[in-house]
Amino acid sequence: MNRPALPAGSLSASAMMAPALILVGVFILIPAVVAVVGSFFDFSMTSATWTFVGGANYRRAATDPLFWLAISNNIFIVVGSVITQVGGGAILAAILDRGIRRGSVVYRTIIFMPVVISSIAVAFVWMLILDPNVGPLNAVVKALGLSPPRLGWLGDPAISLWMLLLIAAWQNVGFQMMLILAGLQAIPKENYEAASLDGARGLKAFWYITLPGIRNVLVLATLITVIGGFKVFDLVFVTTGGGPANATQVLGTYTYTQAFSFGNMGYANAMAVVLLVTAALLGWLQVRLSRRA
Amino acid sequence: MTPRSRTVAIGLHAIVSLWTLFVLLPVFVMVISAFKSQAELFTRPLSLPKQFSFAAFERAWGIGISGFLVNSLLVTALSVLIILLASSLAAYVLARSERPVMRWVYVAIVAGFAVPLQSVMVPLYQLVSSAGLLNSRLAIALPYAAYGIPFTTMLFYTFFLEFPRELEEAARLDGCGRIEVFFRIVLPLSGPAIASGAIFQAVFNWNEFILALLMLTRAEVRTLPVGIYGLTGQYSADWPALMAGLAIATVPLIIIFLLAQRHFVRSLAGLGK
Repeated sequence: MNRPALPAGSLSASAMMAPALILVGVFILIPAVVAVVGSFFDFSMTSATWTFVGGANYRRAATDPLFWLAISNNIFIVVGSVITQVGGGAILAAILDRGIRRGSVVYRTIIFMPVVISSIAVAFVWMLILDPNVGPLNAVVKALGLSPPRLGWLGDPAISLWMLLLIAAWQNVGFQMMLILAGLQAIPKENYEAASLDGARGLKAFWYITLPGIRNVLVLATLITVIGGFKVFDLVFVTTGGGPANATQVLGTYTYTQAFSFGNMGYANAMAVVLLVTAALLGWLQVRLSRRA
Repeated sequence: MTPRSRTVAIGLHAIVSLWTLFVLLPVFVMVISAFKSQAELFTRPLSLPKQFSFAAFERAWGIGISGFLVNSLLVTALSVLIILLASSLAAYVLARSERPVMRWVYVAIVAGFAVPLQSVMVPLYQLVSSAGLLNSRLAIALPYAAYGIPFTTMLFYTFFLEFPRELEEAARLDGCGRIEVFFRIVLPLSGPAIASGAIFQAVFNWNEFILALLMLTRAEVRTLPVGIYGLTGQYSADWPALMAGLAIATVPLIIIFLLAQRHFVRSLAGLGK
């Protein structure tokens, strides 16, 4: 087919390209480079002087127990989210695809709805639900004759991270369900009919037809969830601020605290670079996969 | 239907219904709490309000929600407009050009997709503050636009690859320039891509928190999420007003989502939030 090629060095092509390239360059790519460079310097928000410190900020991170605590909390959220969100999303999608006919659109719409609600609204509503004084959850627990955690659901360091996992699942399961459902619906019906003639039904059909058919989508869903788990910020920032006693501190909130509460911009940059490299690697995989999926 | 498959069907319905109920409960709590009085919230946390009162909505509106709403509308509309225009133009050139350099341009734009906002908050804050653009609702639309462009460009790129080139060629034979072809032929026929991109970015920018937290420090210029967050420091005990404010911020999105579900879901596939 004959493609209408642009004349080489065409002025109009460059002009059409410019707005996107300038915005992405100025607000994403250049700041990313500056973050990497800045991670080798020591500077504060107000001072204009940058002092070169070599790898000191990274060495500081390596010996900072709070940095490692934040990383391990991120990993907890990543693993927990993959299990709850991709797992839960896959179960719901499988049921809605082949198990249920009546009402499936209504279910789908409601389960997906939290995805469009701002994480700030989600955070505050759940803070009300879990509130030790006015929260409905405590009222239910007490009505059942049980005693709620004395420090509150979000105030008890032993359970606060689990609560965040629950809230994140509440918001994101619908997204994964939709993604996986789209994958399921792309599997041709004939495959199931042919397998059924060969005696493969139910779980057997699921294992030999459904799973291979959505493998790429499942990997994509997992990647998206893993990236989201490393990037988590709004929910933690609003509900616990990283507390109690850093029990829910994550990379995003700790970086924010170091930068904007303590003014350690260089150190914050070093931790930001750890997040940047992690997210960039996973994001690169995601773009490659989503083109294939 | 055999008895066994009937049991299975009931079990499957039960699983899905339970999760659906779990999803609805917090939304329900938000709405009924907004209609309660503060005293009622304390004394009867589980029940419906005795009488539906709009007092909490009035308080929320009075302490700043009205202004946040206007700011959110302004910032969202402006950023979505810039995103659609910049992304469609760029994607069109990328989809039609055969120059090898364009591959690198595509990679550069898509690379922006992999950079989390949290990892550049320090340089971004310094950039914006040294440019004197803190607390500007117009200026914040620019980084918002930047973060929407990579995904939207990919969306338009895929769409333009399948766009029938015959139409463009005919227009060019009639003497139309490239930009003219784009605005008069291609863009008017790009409805589905525009709808997907617009609704998705509108939801994202309406809800955005981190950039707004960093850049909009004065209450008068704040958007809904960061505005409501700022209010909770001052009015911490007023749960009903807080829930009313959140309902005002949330309900428009839920309505838009219900109306335009199809477009929204279609644009989700390639995204990591």
